[in-house]
Amino acid sequence: MAWTGLVIGFVFGIILQKGRVCFNSAFRDVLIFKDNYLMKLAALALALQSITLLLFAQFGAIHLAPKPLNWIANIIGGYIFGLGMVLAGGCASGVTYRSGEGMTTAWFAAIFYGLTAYATSSGIFSGWSKWVSKFNITIQSTNPVYASKIGPTVSTVLNVSPWVATLVFAALLMWYAFGTKTTQRPTKFNWVIAAILIAILAPIAWWTSAKSGRNYGLGITGGWVNLFSVYTANKPINWEGAEIIGIILGALVSSLASKEFKFRMPKDPKTYLQVMVGGALMGFGAATAGGCNIGHFLTGVPQLAISSLIASVFFILGNWTMAWLLFGKER
Amino acid sequence: MAKYQVTKSIDVRGEVCPVPDVETKRALKGMKSGEILEVWIDYPMSKERIPESVKQMGHEVLEIEEVGKSEWKIYIKVK
Repeated sequence: MAWTGLVIGFVFGIILQKGRVCFNSAFRDVLIFKDNYLMKLAALALALQSITLLLFAQFGAIHLAPKPLNWIANIIGGYIFGLGMVLAGGCASGVTYRSGEGMTTAWFAAIFYGLTAYATSSGIFSGWSKWVSKFNITIQSTNPVYASKIGPTVSTVLNVSPWVATLVFAALLMWYAFGTKTTQRPTKFNWVIAAILIAILAPIAWWTSAKSGRNYGLGITGGWVNLFSVYTANKPINWEGAEIIGIILGALVSSLASKEFKFRMPKDPKTYLQVMVGGALMGFGAATAGGCNIGHFLTGVPQLAISSLIASVFFILGNWTMAWLLFGKER
Repeated sequence: MAKYQVTKSIDVRGEVCPVPDVETKRALKGMKSGEILEVWIDYPMSKERIPESVKQMGHEVLEIEEVGKSEWKIYIKVK
């Protein structure tokens, strides 16, 4: 059933490419360029997805699985991931889909990201991740929308129905998305369409992934880790690994179709060094935090997982720190 | 060939995000009113972002010329 990941990834790759969905830009633009276009796309996607995921869970198609809370791992890993994405020139999904558009710097960023995530989960840095996972906090859930062992969520902490917490969360983000001024940009899929498509794809992705034995929705880091284990240790490919291949192929086909594919190369070779360091920081950060901007931010936050909310705050703080250091003068 | 009296030209093809945006802003800062900046890009997202952000700064976008396969030149007149 891992092949369904390929199909879902392919569609996701097209959405990412046509919508220019990059979370590194989303976070950074708000601070450096006073541009909220992509942040609004993200906010709307999170709001709609919080509802679509919960609907699927309510009807028993999926069981939500908020990631374990780990103060040390979510904060440190999240911050390092945030620093890394600025150097790498894209977030986890950004460097993945840009690899398919022929961006050669993204290849190096993605390879070092996946390789270092693999080293952190089961290679030279596995001692660190094993140690830090001792601080994981999980709870037993009795609510059927959740899996049995989950990380705490806003709804479990406040002891309110997941629907109450979700609707308040969605309403706040919708107010931000539609109640404030949006920066204009002539993109193929505008931000509203891209957000709606993501919110439709996400629960279907989760449902097919669960059928293959992996109970989680869209993700990037675990997929790259899987691909490296397939390549170097002959492990079987899983849903998330197939999803990564799908994203790259989807972005490739989409960019070829719109004549946007090109082998792009920077003039200064030092740029490659920068993106490799960035990719490695992202891999170490994401594997430590238990997820990247897709696993934690796009998929974890709509479940209102405390772990994902904390990791996301530190993704943004790390992103702002590095963006400020590199581009702060251009504000 | 010379469509405009270009005062300054920058080539940011292949640079990682957001270097094209930042280099454009840097170049504009050092220019005088009425002068024309030519920005050579090859990433479609830059084609969508850069004209919008320089318009916000008050400059005039004269043309976005397609000069090759996924390559464009943006001509900006400084306010």
